[in-house]
Amino acid sequence: MHLRVGGLARAYPSRSCAGCRAHSFSTSHLRRSVIIHAGHVQSLNESTNALVSFSTETHNLDFHGPLRNLTVAIKDNICTMHLPTTCSSGMLREFTSPFDATAVEFLKAGGANIVGKANCDEFGMGQLSTNARLRRSLNVNSIHGPVVNPYYSPNEKSVPWAERERRSAGGSSGGSAAAVAAGMCDAALGTDTGGSVRLPASYCGITGLKPSYGLISSRWGVVSFADSLDCVGVLGKSVDTVKTVFDSISSYDPKDPTAAAPRTRERAKASAESLLSTLDVNSSSPDLSSLRIGIPQEYFPSELNTTIVTAVRKVLERLSSLGAQLIPVSLPSTPYALSAYYVIATAEASSNLARYDGVQYGWYSFPSAPGADKSKPGNVYAHTRSAGFGAEVRKRILLGTYALTADAFDNYFLQAQRVRQRIKTDFDSNFRIPNAQLSDPSPNPDGVDILLHPSAIRTAPRLDSDAISGLGPYLQDVMTVPASLAGLPAVSVPAGLAADGWPVGVSIVGQWGSDELVLCIGNVIERTSDKDNSNLS
Amino acid sequence: MLVRRCPWRSIQLHQLWCPRQIHTREAIHDKRWPGWQVIIGIEVHAQIKSRRKLFSESSTSRPGEIPNTTVSTFDSAFPGTLPTLNPKCVELAVRTALALNSKVHHQSAFDRKHYFYSDLPAGYQITQRYSPLASGGYLKLSKGDVSVGIQQIQLEQDTAKSTFDGLRRTSLIDLNRAGSGLMEIVSEPHMRSPEEAADYVRTLQAVLRCVGSSDGNMEQGSFRCDVNVSINKHGQPHGTRCEIKNLNSVKFMTVAITSEVFRHIELLQSGYSVSQDTRGFDENKAETFKLRSKADSPDYRYMPDPNIPPLLLSEEYIETIRKTMPDLPDTTRVRLRNLGLSERDTDVLMAVDSGHEVGFDGELGKGAVTYFDSLAQQRDPRVVVNWMTHELIGQLTARKETFSDNPVSVEQLGELIDLVQDGKITGTSGKLLLKHIIANRSLSAPSVLVQELSLEAVSEDDNASTRAWCVEAIEALPEEAEAVRQGNPRVLNKLVGKVMQLSRGRADAQNARVVLEDVLRK
Repeated sequence: MHLRVGGLARAYPSRSCAGCRAHSFSTSHLRRSVIIHAGHVQSLNESTNALVSFSTETHNLDFHGPLRNLTVAIKDNICTMHLPTTCSSGMLREFTSPFDATAVEFLKAGGANIVGKANCDEFGMGQLSTNARLRRSLNVNSIHGPVVNPYYSPNEKSVPWAERERRSAGGSSGGSAAAVAAGMCDAALGTDTGGSVRLPASYCGITGLKPSYGLISSRWGVVSFADSLDCVGVLGKSVDTVKTVFDSISSYDPKDPTAAAPRTRERAKASAESLLSTLDVNSSSPDLSSLRIGIPQEYFPSELNTTIVTAVRKVLERLSSLGAQLIPVSLPSTPYALSAYYVIATAEASSNLARYDGVQYGWYSFPSAPGADKSKPGNVYAHTRSAGFGAEVRKRILLGTYALTADAFDNYFLQAQRVRQRIKTDFDSNFRIPNAQLSDPSPNPDGVDILLHPSAIRTAPRLDSDAISGLGPYLQDVMTVPASLAGLPAVSVPAGLAADGWPVGVSIVGQWGSDELVLCIGNVIERTSDKDNSNLS
Repeated sequence: MLVRRCPWRSIQLHQLWCPRQIHTREAIHDKRWPGWQVIIGIEVHAQIKSRRKLFSESSTSRPGEIPNTTVSTFDSAFPGTLPTLNPKCVELAVRTALALNSKVHHQSAFDRKHYFYSDLPAGYQITQRYSPLASGGYLKLSKGDVSVGIQQIQLEQDTAKSTFDGLRRTSLIDLNRAGSGLMEIVSEPHMRSPEEAADYVRTLQAVLRCVGSSDGNMEQGSFRCDVNVSINKHGQPHGTRCEIKNLNSVKFMTVAITSEVFRHIELLQSGYSVSQDTRGFDENKAETFKLRSKADSPDYRYMPDPNIPPLLLSEEYIETIRKTMPDLPDTTRVRLRNLGLSERDTDVLMAVDSGHEVGFDGELGKGAVTYFDSLAQQRDPRVVVNWMTHELIGQLTARKETFSDNPVSVEQLGELIDLVQDGKITGTSGKLLLKHIIANRSLSAPSVLVQELSLEAVSEDDNASTRAWCVEAIEALPEEAEAVRQGNPRVLNKLVGKVMQLSRGRADAQNARVVLEDVLRK
């Protein structure tokens, strides 16, 4: 069995996998097909390292739920009772949560088949999914290591899939993106703090949604990295799949105190619906003549790969041909976003990760070396924390701790909060529909409905290149962090290929609460691009 | 999405630049330390008497609870858990703030205070550093017409309890207390003697108990004091203060302050300066000891808690609480006096009342005043208070029981009083009946018991019975009877007593006296 499936995996490019699975699910032997699928997934995983644990049994398959027949992977920083939640950290390498995250409960209730937990950067901190912490030195039985992008470039058709060019899947939800792209599952949950869903979606050539902060999907059960930025996101092969999963997990949850009040939700829903009603998006030739698309000039920096611009331009041309108005806009605070993001995210991370001390749960290392100072609890904690966290996490904890010290608080933390406020104001002043969170928003009739820009400044970097060390990785977030800081919905959808033959993603960002609108436009881009592709072939 | 303003910076600056509020009080000359002025401020951490913890669904623990049994995943800081503010805790803190004449802010916020210790599972405590629930206010002390200013009142989480087992060289951690709600009540440095400090603490305890926000028990740790002490020569600026932490009784607090004052005087008189220390108190040696100096004080890296939206309280909400909260001791005192109660009776009633158990989540406890109020509806308050203070509380005290052990229901005592007032039983019988109910924990109605015990009063018309008892009494006490005949009227009381004894209290004493005189004259 294993050999047969393994052979299959080598033989097929990822795209045909979906059809194969869809066929097997349509048979009445559901259970058998689930088992075949599980074996299949494991063999694909050998070359992607996308999943770190696998469901051994299928339970709770609700044949009538909206997610029936849908296979879903869960990022390993989202709590599950039946599988470990390691956050790819040595600190939690043996940890299994006593509860399911609300999003996981909703998935199960919807009848989804949870295939396993997806690799990620440790505690979601990284852009490349290379910061997985469970290395040989710490855990001989679990070698997470970097996620390898499953994308099979057309330039490489001569080599077998398993020997394709080893590129990053992006991060931190790289495992989730790779699992979807490789066809190991239909959709995956990720988390997005500064771009952790959109960047890997862009690198792997799939769709990734980061919803409005606090509007819908609950953070209960999501291991905090930076609470004011963390969102549960959905990755999928198609916008429709993303929407189906998203609709199932996005109910109000009283256990999440950052969930917006019902009145705010209603206000947001009303304005988004009024906008949607003016568009005709479902027909085969959509009419977007009332849609105003803003092209933010700051999102085309000098670092941006020129062939990415070409791909984005094609998308814009298609939208324009459907009647959409393209309007150049400016978000002048954008250049400060990355710095503000790293101050806020690291400050919150230093606070949120203070709980990992090895006392209540998780990994613990006793300072047994001779001369080790065990007189203060702090020293004992330091020992466990220094050994349990990886280099990237340690670095960010130190930075964040500094930003919160009495001397630095004003110049770093408060300054970053001010920048964050300016970024929000930038967005609000550019959107036509007002921000439902503001008590007295000033409407801007000349504003735009969505913003559109490249999701990343480049295609997926090679895992052995310089781009994955030094400051390079941090720059990858430059396009995605502003929407995170402002809490806005953003979806990255595939937008063709760059000159190197690797996928390019384009991001659609909307006003707070207009998640449905950005998905809708994402869907139009997806459909028209399919048309383009079929025209080409 | 949180829309946060940034109030904390302005507050920090305000705290820096606003000159210390000048509190003018006449110089107090204390014989213990002539020439020196003592300045005391107190920070109180009072556990909120709520059923559930401040941010989680788990129950607050009672003393003696089995360790680590009232703990949720949030309390033990499991990954993925989030706080949910308990509105009952907010309500009780608002009651406290109103009782202390504080300004309750329409918007307050929560911050994280970070430090690593085994009693703090999350590595931070959620508190209200930058915008507290309430600020300003005052508490009037019971003696000397002194008002102590209140700086601020904030909500925060309690820590777990860690105990060091020296024998096994192990730290034991009990998470039962972790995450329980605390009110931190910070006073202005307005107290001038250890006795005023003690008065402040006792008065504050009474207020908290009265509004039902805390049971204010220092011994059991639900009310903890950190005391700031400094001294200066009269007319000079304030000296350097030291903070004495975790004092767990009023007595120890006064001893600690006194010893700290003498330590400061000794230092200053020997030409040293006082260094700004945090100190502990050694109960056996009756002196303070250094825990850490200001230079060693940790940087708590305060950060606004990104999980908890600002706490918004409308004027309407605050007013509703103001209207429905229990009366404060002063108000109750005035009300009782207006009902015609004597000062002494009021004192007794309120002293007994202050010992009542505080109900959870602000539910009113069954205190002596509530008991009195229910009894005094449609009854003469003065008669009711007599029965309560002299008979009920008197008999309970004689049995070494407290008012909280009182087995007599309001209905029982009410009916008993009515029986006496209507002349159905005599006062003496009433007392006997009360004693019977207490001793036997009887649940029966007094009217039923009167029948069972044959305590019906002998009616005035029934002179035959009284006459028979009188004759019997004279026969039993011939010498006393003779003395009365010889013109010594005071001995008559003894005969009346005998009649009462023979009738088991059913005879009317006044009537018995008339009949006795009549029989003896013959």
